[in-house]
Amino acid sequence: MLKRLLLPVILTMLILGFVNSQDFQEIAAGVAIFLFGMLMLEDGFKLFSGGLLERVLERTTDSLAKSIGFGIVSTTIMQSSSLVSVITISFLSASLITLVAGVGIIFGANIGTTTGAWLVAGFGLKVKISAYALPMLAVSIVLVFQRSKYMRGAGFVLAGLGFLFLGIHHMKEGFEAFKDQFDLTRFAMTGVLGLLVYTFIGAAATVVMQSSHATMVLIITALAAGQVSYENAIALAIGANIGTTVTAIIGALTSNFQGKRLALAHLIFNVVTAGVALIFINQIVWAVDWVSATVGIGDDDYALKLAVFHTIFNVLGVAIMVPLMGRLIGFLERTIAEPEPDVSKPLYLSQAADEFPATMELAMRKEVKHLQDNAIELIAHGLNLHRHEIYASDDIAATVAASTEPLELDIDEVYEARVKTLYSAIVEFATRAGTRNLPKEVVERIYSLWDSANRTVRAVKAVKHMRRNATVYTSRPQGEATDLYNGLRTEIARILVEIHDLDESDTEIRSSLWLDEERVQIERDRRNTTRMIERLIRDQAIGATTATSFLNDSGYAYEAMSDLIEAARVYYIETEGAMAEVERILTLGEDDVEEMSAGAQ
Amino acid sequence: MALKRTIAKLNDYQDRLKDKKAKQIKVKHVDKIISKLEAKKADLDKEFHEATKPSRKERLKRKRKVLRDQIEQAEFLRKEILKSQK
Repeated sequence: MLKRLLLPVILTMLILGFVNSQDFQEIAAGVAIFLFGMLMLEDGFKLFSGGLLERVLERTTDSLAKSIGFGIVSTTIMQSSSLVSVITISFLSASLITLVAGVGIIFGANIGTTTGAWLVAGFGLKVKISAYALPMLAVSIVLVFQRSKYMRGAGFVLAGLGFLFLGIHHMKEGFEAFKDQFDLTRFAMTGVLGLLVYTFIGAAATVVMQSSHATMVLIITALAAGQVSYENAIALAIGANIGTTVTAIIGALTSNFQGKRLALAHLIFNVVTAGVALIFINQIVWAVDWVSATVGIGDDDYALKLAVFHTIFNVLGVAIMVPLMGRLIGFLERTIAEPEPDVSKPLYLSQAADEFPATMELAMRKEVKHLQDNAIELIAHGLNLHRHEIYASDDIAATVAASTEPLELDIDEVYEARVKTLYSAIVEFATRAGTRNLPKEVVERIYSLWDSANRTVRAVKAVKHMRRNATVYTSRPQGEATDLYNGLRTEIARILVEIHDLDESDTEIRSSLWLDEERVQIERDRRNTTRMIERLIRDQAIGATTATSFLNDSGYAYEAMSDLIEAARVYYIETEGAMAEVERILTLGEDDVEEMSAGAQ
Repeated sequence: MALKRTIAKLNDYQDRLKDKKAKQIKVKHVDKIISKLEAKKADLDKEFHEATKPSRKERLKRKRKVLRDQIEQAEFLRKEILKSQK
C-alpha cells in the first residue's frame, strides 16, 4: 500500500516544486544527475568484476581488520557503500566470504562512504566543479563505445564521476539562487525536537534517493548555501546513515539467510551508532570543533565541519561495534537461524548470486554438486542399495548381493522432486548466465557445469528404466539372471564409490585423470557382458525373454555409468591455467579408451 | 598409438599457445599432475596387496596398468616441455 502511494506522492511533490520554483528544478535535476552518475559508476565497476574485484575480495577478507580495511578502500574508490553492500551480500550468499568478514566490510564501508562528504565539502564547493565534469563526460563517451570490456568499464566510471560532479554543480547553483527567494532556515529547529525531526527527514530522503551519499551531498550544498543550520545538518547526516540500511535490506530480500544476517548487522550498526550520536551529540560536536581547529578548518566552514562530523560519527560506530563483534555475530545467528536445507529446492542459485561472475560460477558449481548428491542417492536407492554400506564395503560385490530387500521408493516422484526441479533451476540459471555480459571463459565453465548436470540427470533416467527388472531379479534368487543383474548393480556401485572417493580426496592431490581407469573398465565390462550374454543364450542358461530384458537393462546401466563418470570428470577437471592444459593432453580420448579396453580383456 | 595421440594433442596445444589461446605449461605443472597420478597409484598398489579375491586382484591389476600408462605419457610430456624450454 505504502509502496504504491510513494511514487504518486513523489511525482506530485516534484511537479508542485517545478511549478513554484525554477531553482527547485535545478536542485532536483542536480540530485537526478548525481544519482544517474552513481548508477553509471556502479555499471562501470561491474564491468571490472569477473576477475579482479572478486580475487581482491577473496584475499583481503581473512581477518576482521582486513575486512574493515577492504570496506573502507573499496567504498572510497567506488563512492558507493550501496554497491559494496550488494557485492558483500552476493559473496556472502555464495559462501565466498564469512559472516564476520561480511560484517567487517559493511563497517568499513560506513567509514569509506564518509570520503564522499570530504570530496564535496573540500573540493566540490571550493572549485568550479562543472569545469571538470564536461571534459570528463566528453572523454567518457569515446571510451564507452570501445570494444574492450575494461575500456567500456573505464568509460562508465569516468562518465559516472562526470555526472556526479555535474549533479553537485547543479545542486550548488540551485541552492545559491534559491536562498535569494526563499529562506529554508525559517524551518530550522533547535533542541531535541530538531534533532529527532531532522534525523527522520535525513532517513526519509535517503530511502527515497536510495543513497546516503546523495543525501550527504544535498545536505552539504544546502549547508554551504546557508539553507540549513549546522545543527540540523548534523541530524540530517545521522538520519542519512539510518536510511541507507534500506538499500541493504532490499538487497537482502532475495538473498539467503546469510545475506539477511548481514542486512540486520547493517541496520544494528547504523541504529546503535545513531542512538549513541544523538545521546552524546554535544560531546561529538565538541570533538568536531577540536579536530577542525587542530587540522586548520575555519570555525565557520560548516561544510568541512560536517565532513569531520560524518567521519567521527562513523568511526565512533565502528569503535563501539568491533569489541561487540562476537556478541553481534551470536545475536545474528540466533535471530536468523540457518534453515533446515530442503534438498528438493535449489540452495545456491539465489538472485543475489546472479550479480557477479565469480558468485554465479561458484553458485552454479555448488548447485550442480547438490544435484549430484541427490542423484547419487536416488541411483543407489533405485538399485536397492544404501550408500553408506557400499562406501564402507571391502567387497562391493558381496555387499550388493546381500542387498536383496526392495526399498519403498516411488522413483518417478523422487526424480521429479529432487532431481528435475534442481536441473530446471540449473538450466534456467545457465541460460541466464549466457545472456549476461560475462567473461567468455566464465560462461564456458558455467556451460561445462550444465553439461555435468545434464549427464547426471541422464544417469538417473537410465537407472529409472532398469529399476523394475533389477528389483524383480535381485530380491530373490533366480539363477543366472540374478547374477547378471547383481553384476550390473555392482558395477554401478563401484562407479558411485569411485566418485565418492574422488570427492573425499584432498583437493591438492586429486585429479579428474583418476577417472580414466574407470572409463576403460566400463568399456571392458560392456564388451564382456555382451560376450557373456551371447554365451548364456547359446548354452540355454537363460531364456530369450530374460536375455532381451537384460540386454536392454545393461544398455541403460552402461549409459548410466558412462554419464556418471563423465559428469564427475567434467565437474572435477582443472578449468583454469596450465594445469588444465596438462590434463587436457593426458586425458584419454575415446580411441584410447577403446584401444585399452580391447587390449586387456 | 596412445603416444601418437598424445603427440597430436601436444601439437594442438603448441598451435594454441602460438595463437595465445592457451596458458604456457611449465615442468612444475606436469610434475604436479605426475604427483597426483602417483598418489592414486600408491592407493591402488596398497589395495592390490591387501586384496584376497582373485577377481578383485585382476581388476586392480588392470587399473594399475592404465595408471602406469598415464604416468608414462605424463613423463613423456615432461621431457617435451623441458626440451621446449631449453
